[in-house]
Amino acid sequence: MRYKVSLHKQPKHTELVSCVGWTTPDEVISSGDDHQLLKWNLLSNEASKLVQLPDEVYPTDMHWFPRLGGGGKKAPGSDVFVLCSTDGKFLLISRSGRVEKSVEAHRGAVLSARWNHTGTDLLTAGEDGVVKIWSRSGMLRSTLSQNSSPVYSIAWGPDSDQVLYTNGKQLIIKPIQPNAKPSQWKGHDGMVLKVDWNPVNNLLLSGSEDCKYKVWDCYGRIMYVSSIHEYPITSVSWSPDGQLFAIGSFNTLRLCDKTGWSHALEKPATGSLFNISWSSDSTQVAAACGNGHVIFAHVIERRLEWKNYEVVVSDQKVIRVRNVTNDAKDNLDFRDRVIKASIAFKHMVVATSSQCYIYNVKNWNTPMIFDLKEGSVTLIIQSERHFLLVDNTSVYVYTYEGRMVCSPKFPGMRTDILNEQTVSLSDDTIAIRDKTDEKVIHMFELSTGKPLGDGKPYIHKIEVMEVYLDQCGTATERRLAIVDKNRDLYLTQVRVYGKDRKTVKLSTMINSLLWNDETNMLAALSEGKLLVWFYPNASSVDKDLISRTTYERETNEFGKSPQLLSFLGKQISVRRAEGSILTTSVSPYPSILHNCVTLGRWDDAVRLCRFVKEESLWACLAAMAAYGKQLGTAEVAYAAIDEADKVQFIQSIKEIPSKEARNAEMALFCGQSSDAEGILLQASLIFRAIMLNIELCNWDRALELAVKHKTNVDTVLAHRMKYLENFDKKETNKRFIQYSEGVDIDWEKIQAKMELEFKNERERPVASSGATARVK
Amino acid sequence: MADEALARAGLHFDELNKIRVLEPEISQQTGELRDECKEFLDKISEFQKIVGSFVDLIDGVAKEVEKEKMKAIGSRNLLKSVTKQREAQQQQLLALITEKKVQLERLRIQHESLAKEELEQTDFIEQFILQK
Repeated sequence: MRYKVSLHKQPKHTELVSCVGWTTPDEVISSGDDHQLLKWNLLSNEASKLVQLPDEVYPTDMHWFPRLGGGGKKAPGSDVFVLCSTDGKFLLISRSGRVEKSVEAHRGAVLSARWNHTGTDLLTAGEDGVVKIWSRSGMLRSTLSQNSSPVYSIAWGPDSDQVLYTNGKQLIIKPIQPNAKPSQWKGHDGMVLKVDWNPVNNLLLSGSEDCKYKVWDCYGRIMYVSSIHEYPITSVSWSPDGQLFAIGSFNTLRLCDKTGWSHALEKPATGSLFNISWSSDSTQVAAACGNGHVIFAHVIERRLEWKNYEVVVSDQKVIRVRNVTNDAKDNLDFRDRVIKASIAFKHMVVATSSQCYIYNVKNWNTPMIFDLKEGSVTLIIQSERHFLLVDNTSVYVYTYEGRMVCSPKFPGMRTDILNEQTVSLSDDTIAIRDKTDEKVIHMFELSTGKPLGDGKPYIHKIEVMEVYLDQCGTATERRLAIVDKNRDLYLTQVRVYGKDRKTVKLSTMINSLLWNDETNMLAALSEGKLLVWFYPNASSVDKDLISRTTYERETNEFGKSPQLLSFLGKQISVRRAEGSILTTSVSPYPSILHNCVTLGRWDDAVRLCRFVKEESLWACLAAMAAYGKQLGTAEVAYAAIDEADKVQFIQSIKEIPSKEARNAEMALFCGQSSDAEGILLQASLIFRAIMLNIELCNWDRALELAVKHKTNVDTVLAHRMKYLENFDKKETNKRFIQYSEGVDIDWEKIQAKMELEFKNERERPVASSGATARVK
Repeated sequence: MADEALARAGLHFDELNKIRVLEPEISQQTGELRDECKEFLDKISEFQKIVGSFVDLIDGVAKEVEKEKMKAIGSRNLLKSVTKQREAQQQQLLALITEKKVQLERLRIQHESLAKEELEQTDFIEQFILQK
């Protein structure tokens, strides 16, 4: 990835340029010490003078009013911006250049001004060290903080409820509620000149006179420190999508990845870059130069890879596709600028500023094309048959034929801050993490766009950071992997049948997580280890098997805080913190096993395991067979991994005559007692259901069932008595006391009755011969 | 006698018997003096002319010298700044080179990992074939 820089031969400003801002992705406004406001049209590459400012106005910073959702087809962009000046005032200026308001704000110069993300508040900071909050119309709301030294730069937090500002070498985060305690730390060895805070990835960025830039998380923990540059860092700026940031210094313009490492460096003859601004589609930057130039840079050569295809956005309107296996190259030309591109699941989706193109990897010549409602797509997520587009206002799901399927919504949805971690798509489900309450995950049926199940979102115990849906299998078995604030990994059911949702904690300290694209394997990076769950579903079958079906490897070569890039087939790509990509692979057998099992070829699966002779594979098969209620296969697999007790249990189940009872016992085997009871009651095996509850010491439920179905009350009472006798205790349960009144319990009689029941069961029309091995 | 009387009255006769106020001798000397003066004046004016042209010439030379001097100073400064410019350029190029080096290192690591992966894959395939 690099910049394509364009710079006019002669500077259009006669003095230094101090600030720039984008109105639309094709138009920039700049201002400088020559008191001019210049409007730059990037389509015609011309600059025209918008207005001459009064002589006493020396601009220091500008910020455009945020573009809010709800614009029409051709959203005109923002209409007003704030310009602060050295005479202590800030000006609200309309797009046409008319000064709408001039407000006396600070003693000494106003150094920085920022609108919050919803546009309700304006924050200013000045040479007098005061940070103030103003209303939309320029009325003073509150004074947030007073400092002894000038505050050079400010930024709003993602929810607009916190503010980041500089104070000398310090960085300070302060909530805007009055009396809230600020958190502050020493950020640099020199004066901090610029800060920025991205709402999408929630990371902070600071540039300083000590010639370094640093990336921080929102708790002030350092994520990245740059090497020392030749000159102080005069400007920093996050791209709106949070993937990249730009750094400006003397004759220096740098493009960096969000993790800090540098994609590209430009050395234009511009003097110091005092201000950098990204266009709303995150494809272009404009920077204010010390020698009167305004420099424009387009981010090109974004590179995507999928299996044997390599996709490079080689220019603003050109994409080069290369098939590395046969070196076939295709050049795709577009009418408009390419904003986003994504390739996965045999399809490439390209969003330009007006249209969306869908290519099949088999055919690069005839894409499906449809018009976009709004020009600025911020995110594309793909699944096997669908893809999801996010723009400023909504989330849309399309098929690869270009048909819109749905547009899920929930109250308080903010689409501008969605990213790959907080929204997930599979072929039947969409999961979106709520921003206002981060514990909440909204899940939608893909075909209708309506919330799943009873319409209530899933609420996790603590704040959720990342959500991932598995990609394969049927909709009923869809599972959601959740990484929460403590970096713990949970696996939960998406569709709930019956009473409670089963959520299982799989692991802790997860750095990065991904599902496989072909089979439901889950890969994670955790504390210098690579973990692959070959069959995460084992957690719902037999928890003992989780660790045995997990592949674990020390990965010292990945370095500190690596990120998973892709998990395609058996290939895992990992990006190290300094930007290099490492590839590693996992055994191919689990995915073959998955295929056999999905096709129902259990014999082949057993044969495969016998051939490979790996314990993890046998464990996978055991869990799969138990889940698929394949008793024979499960028996073989459990035998292979030396689980004698389970083998015996399965053998005993095999002897149960009726199919429902066997299923119930398998459910019980998987620890799902309520499911087991449900199966039994549905098959009207009342006696068995009662006995099940008796064996689980679920006395109340057993009695309830017996009373309800008017059968075997004495059996329950007898077992209860025996149980209490064993523990030498007295009956305290009122219901049992009530029912045992006047009932004579004769153990022999009960035994006989039980025998009779089992005999009756054996003689049921569906049942064949055989005796119960379980209940004796 | 008459001459004496006339001489007393201040009148004289010259050789051509013309009446004169001055003594002929003095008159002759005066004439000589006048001629000499004229000659002298001519010479002086000629000298002035020569000197004037000389001064002009010198002035021209001075200007030329001044110009050359400024030129020399300018080029000397330029020379100095060129080294500085070179230094700056060198620094910029060095920065670009370091950037490329970092990039190269990233690609090298990636290549290494891919090569390792390839090796593992071929090993696996061989093993697989042997097992069959």
